Amino acid sequence: MINRKAIGYITANYTSREHSVLLDSRPLASIPFMGRYRLIDFPLSNLANAGIKTVGLVMPGNWRSIMDHVGHGKDWGLDRKKGGLFPLPGNPYGATKQGMRFLLRDIISSKSLFERSDKPYVVLMGTNIIFNLDLNAVIDAHEKSGVGITMVYVHAERNQEDAMSLEIGDAGRVKGFHQGCHYGDNKFLDCVVINRDLLLQIIDQYSSADYLDLFEAIRPDFERIDVCSYEYKGLAMGFFNEETYFRRSMELLDPTTANKLFMRERPILTKAHDAPPAKYFSGAVVCNSRVSAGCEIKGTVRNSIIARGVTVEAGANVVNSIIMQSCVIKTGAHVENAILDKSNVVAANTELSGTPDDILVVGKAALK
Amino acid sequence: MSKKECIAMLLAGGQGSRLGALTSKIAKPAVSFGGKYRIIDFTLSNCANSGIDTVGVLTQYRPYRLHAYLGSGSAWDLDERGGGVSILPPYATQDGGAWYAGTADAVTQNLDYIKTHDPKYVLILSGDALYRMDYREMLHTHISNDADLTVAVMPVPWEDASRFGILTADDEGRITKFTEKPEKPDSNLASMGIYIFTADFLIKTLEEDALDQRSSHDFGGDIIPKALADGKRLFVHKFEGFWKDVGTIASYHETSMDLLGPNPYFDLYDYKTPIMSNDTTRPPHYIGPDGKVDDCLVSNGCEILGTARHSVLSTDCVIGERAIVEDSVLLPGAVIKAGAHICRAIIGENAVVEEGVKLGSVDTTKDTAVVGNDVVIGKGE
Repeated sequence: MINRKAIGYITANYTSREHSVLLDSRPLASIPFMGRYRLIDFPLSNLANAGIKTVGLVMPGNWRSIMDHVGHGKDWGLDRKKGGLFPLPGNPYGATKQGMRFLLRDIISSKSLFERSDKPYVVLMGTNIIFNLDLNAVIDAHEKSGVGITMVYVHAERNQEDAMSLEIGDAGRVKGFHQGCHYGDNKFLDCVVINRDLLLQIIDQYSSADYLDLFEAIRPDFERIDVCSYEYKGLAMGFFNEETYFRRSMELLDPTTANKLFMRERPILTKAHDAPPAKYFSGAVVCNSRVSAGCEIKGTVRNSIIARGVTVEAGANVVNSIIMQSCVIKTGAHVENAILDKSNVVAANTELSGTPDDILVVGKAALK
Repeated sequence: MSKKECIAMLLAGGQGSRLGALTSKIAKPAVSFGGKYRIIDFTLSNCANSGIDTVGVLTQYRPYRLHAYLGSGSAWDLDERGGGVSILPPYATQDGGAWYAGTADAVTQNLDYIKTHDPKYVLILSGDALYRMDYREMLHTHISNDADLTVAVMPVPWEDASRFGILTADDEGRITKFTEKPEKPDSNLASMGIYIFTADFLIKTLEEDALDQRSSHDFGGDIIPKALADGKRLFVHKFEGFWKDVGTIASYHETSMDLLGPNPYFDLYDYKTPIMSNDTTRPPHYIGPDGKVDDCLVSNGCEILGTARHSVLSTDCVIGERAIVEDSVLLPGAVIKAGAHICRAIIGENAVVEEGVKLGSVDTTKDTAVVGNDVVIGKGE
């Protein structure tokens, strides 16, 4: 059903605190993931699966790869006459590389999106943390509780200094928040339902603090505003550096884990391509791996994620690695504990290896 | 009213009864093929790759899944203003209306569609074969011969010629004779069921044919023989590439196998003329710790814990632990449970082969085993 209650707002202009060659050519929002996806697919799909037809997308300075991927939003049902996908100018680098994901200045400059809406609520989402959530359940809970803001969290399964934790009191009221989260904390998913009227009031009342994050700005007034929490019980994964990117990706090799994120009733949607099915030749050896469409596999692949259009030649070995789109692993080459960004060609009979604790990362088209 | 050079009429209404269980609930053009495609994708992609932007798709038999699949035509970049894909099912008129009685009748009933676009030429296609063809080359043949009708033909082995509609042509390519399944063929040029008509000639011919009580309103059976008898300018366009009808279980299976191997007869990986499809968004497939995949096409969403050899695995198939799949085609969502063994079989969409079941035979003199869509095969069945 088309959502009559909410519009969406995604901040795609946040990045990682740590430098990575994977982010030389793109913002974190459009980092390739799981062979055919990009992180931005997750907030877009969560909104699409809730029937939300108006989405503002706050852009970073290096927006090319995001626009290339999302286009007019057709793959998420956002090529609408009523509503649609609205790219919005954002702070080129994100406000802080740590902390919340909703810079007040960006929200203020997006004011007309909120003013023109006739829906009572706005769903705010970031792109660093991915999950598959029934947003309508959150919106319903928000509506029922009658509060101004509902913040979505998950019980943290690991320590993560870049995530935020919510301090939750009686009846799910959010009393405060702090940087970093430890096992068992209430890890904030950068996902919020807020009353549109309240958001417009905040834009007017807090404009002098526009250099702050939305939640930092309103922190002193939490009680007056009435901020509530909603617990998400599914799988959430945060991406803040190369290590988290590699580890979380590898965890998704396990079909049981992957099925918590990629479910048929709420599919993760992405830009459609016309790559043919992957082709395995005689002599290919593949185990515990995910392989995407358009791949040609003649060699050996173990414990790896192989993206669209990758060629693994006969006698080549790929072990414990993430190989992005259009790479070629030539015959006799050995790639282990590595992330190869798009369009790398690993020469015949060469070795390219990191260690399990120090993953080798090769930037886009660095090897030709 | 627009003026177009050439529009296509794609005949997609047939039942495809020779595909048996595979078309019990779905029209033949919408049957899954090649892992992530449906049979109609090949013809629609040919249209798109040939620059044809207006395609009328004539549907009749069990059309819902086909209509849903076609959608706006955007999957083939055929969502065009003033053209694109138009779905043309039978309809009622003030005089009552009728089902499509034959291939020519289907087009006759949609002459208004053709007249609206006012093309110079009309390409008649059917959505039941695997081939790549640039229809512009055929149109060039048609125009340079100043033809009324051009028929695409391909040379077939002489010993097979009596299974086809055979055209005999002179040195200039002008058709002198058309014989359906001749006992003693004097030509090995088989009709591919692809025609280009000059639009004025098509309209006049079909309007006359509609009034002919003795006609069965079929292009091959009535229109071509009549045009030949009337001395019209009929020419062949020779096609040398790979073309195969996928209209029977045996040819469907054989053609699927033709996609495999290092040098396949039909190469899905030819990116110059991509085959486009209205695909579902599913994650990359997973090969388990003990999975073995040898000489296969594997689509997104599959989970392979057992063994697959020389097979085509469509979207969302599952092969359980210790299960073996050989020389087979699994349609989307087919599940082969642990320890089952299937060989030379076609397993329908969302069909399930239960644990330990053995199905099919390596013996090529036996028929290909077929499990219909949504069917569950248990032990002892």
